[in-house]
Amino acid sequence: MFTSNPFAELTVFLSPAFMQIYIVLMILAVAAGTIYDMLHKKSFQFFMQRRQNSEARARRPLGTGQKFGVALKTLGKEVLTSGEFCNTKRQLSHLLLFYGFLLYLISTIVMVYAYPTAQATTPGVWPVLWNVGALMIIIGGGWFFFFLRVNVVQEQDSPFRLIPADLFVVSLVLSVLFGIIWEIVQAQGGLLATQILFGIYIGLTTLLFVSVPWSKFAHMFYKPAAAYQKRVEDVSGSDSLPTAARGKKQVASPGNTRT
Amino acid sequence: MPTFVDMTKCDGCGQCVDICPSDIMHIDKTTRRAYNIEPNFCWECFSCVKSCPQHAIDVRGYADFAPLGHKVRVHRDEEGGKVHWLIGYRDGREKEFTFPIRTTPWGSIPAAQEHQAPGPNDIKSPQLAHEPTALKIDSLPTLEEAQNRG
Repeated sequence: MFTSNPFAELTVFLSPAFMQIYIVLMILAVAAGTIYDMLHKKSFQFFMQRRQNSEARARRPLGTGQKFGVALKTLGKEVLTSGEFCNTKRQLSHLLLFYGFLLYLISTIVMVYAYPTAQATTPGVWPVLWNVGALMIIIGGGWFFFFLRVNVVQEQDSPFRLIPADLFVVSLVLSVLFGIIWEIVQAQGGLLATQILFGIYIGLTTLLFVSVPWSKFAHMFYKPAAAYQKRVEDVSGSDSLPTAARGKKQVASPGNTRT
Repeated sequence: MPTFVDMTKCDGCGQCVDICPSDIMHIDKTTRRAYNIEPNFCWECFSCVKSCPQHAIDVRGYADFAPLGHKVRVHRDEEGGKVHWLIGYRDGREKEFTFPIRTTPWGSIPAAQEHQAPGPNDIKSPQLAHEPTALKIDSLPTLEEAQNRG
């Protein structure tokens, strides 16, 4: 069940071109949503203005090589290890979501484009990676949603209370959860149940990618840029912090480490 | 001089929400980042500024009385037991000051919830919660003892 390509089995009632076109449309939706988000909130304009101000205030202007070094450090720490988080639980949850989403996304694209039909035998590793990625998203997202959300832990909201900031994580977790349910039902052979669950899966996946202007999806793009800018300001001395603060985080207060 | 949060630096950890004595640092429902819900109720205690792990919070002077162009930045060094201040003047000068903030290691003072909860009869005691152990003494003189001595 978990070692066969679920998208290839869709060809019983859908053309392989459906998923191939759908993925292109979703990529376009994310691109359009991110551009709209940047223009509507003027975040790009703010970011560039801030960058100019930072360069003007720099006590030690950085050369190209130094900027490249800063970019590598940002990639190694903030992007690949989610090192920005001061809370280890949040960092682990984010790592599960980040790498789970990457596995899920890459394996989906490979299975849909390289092995679109049941005739093209899919190597077992891709469906396994798809399921492992989905499971990582469910574990990381569920952990975050019920136990780590700051409005739940610090503001004492109910774990079941939804706020607009939850749109991204809820649509992501539900879409992969229904993806797995659809895969299981499809393996049992019921065509109507398969069609219904596949419809729910596609609906939730569409919500995830189309809701970019209203959700936190775009943080995948602007957070690394913001982390890089923060490091540049730190190294170039344009952040106005006391000298002792360069490159340091403050330690969490002992009484404030509930998460 | 209310606080404000740099949304690009905040990671939504909630430290400021926990520590704010005015309970005016809250979490934005759309971005899940901290923000000051009532800037006019902020009494500039700098608690959130010092506790923010990302240095994402700053204090902005009101333009009608704070010197334009000034800045006050702070970094709390818990391991070193110091607090570092950077004062920026209107004419561009900057001065840094460092002060010791404690003589015991960070985290060595038990939080209130780590002490034993008071029993029902403790309300009749003249001692305050966690006394005398929190004062690091064996006992405190009581009213009865003082009267007997007198």
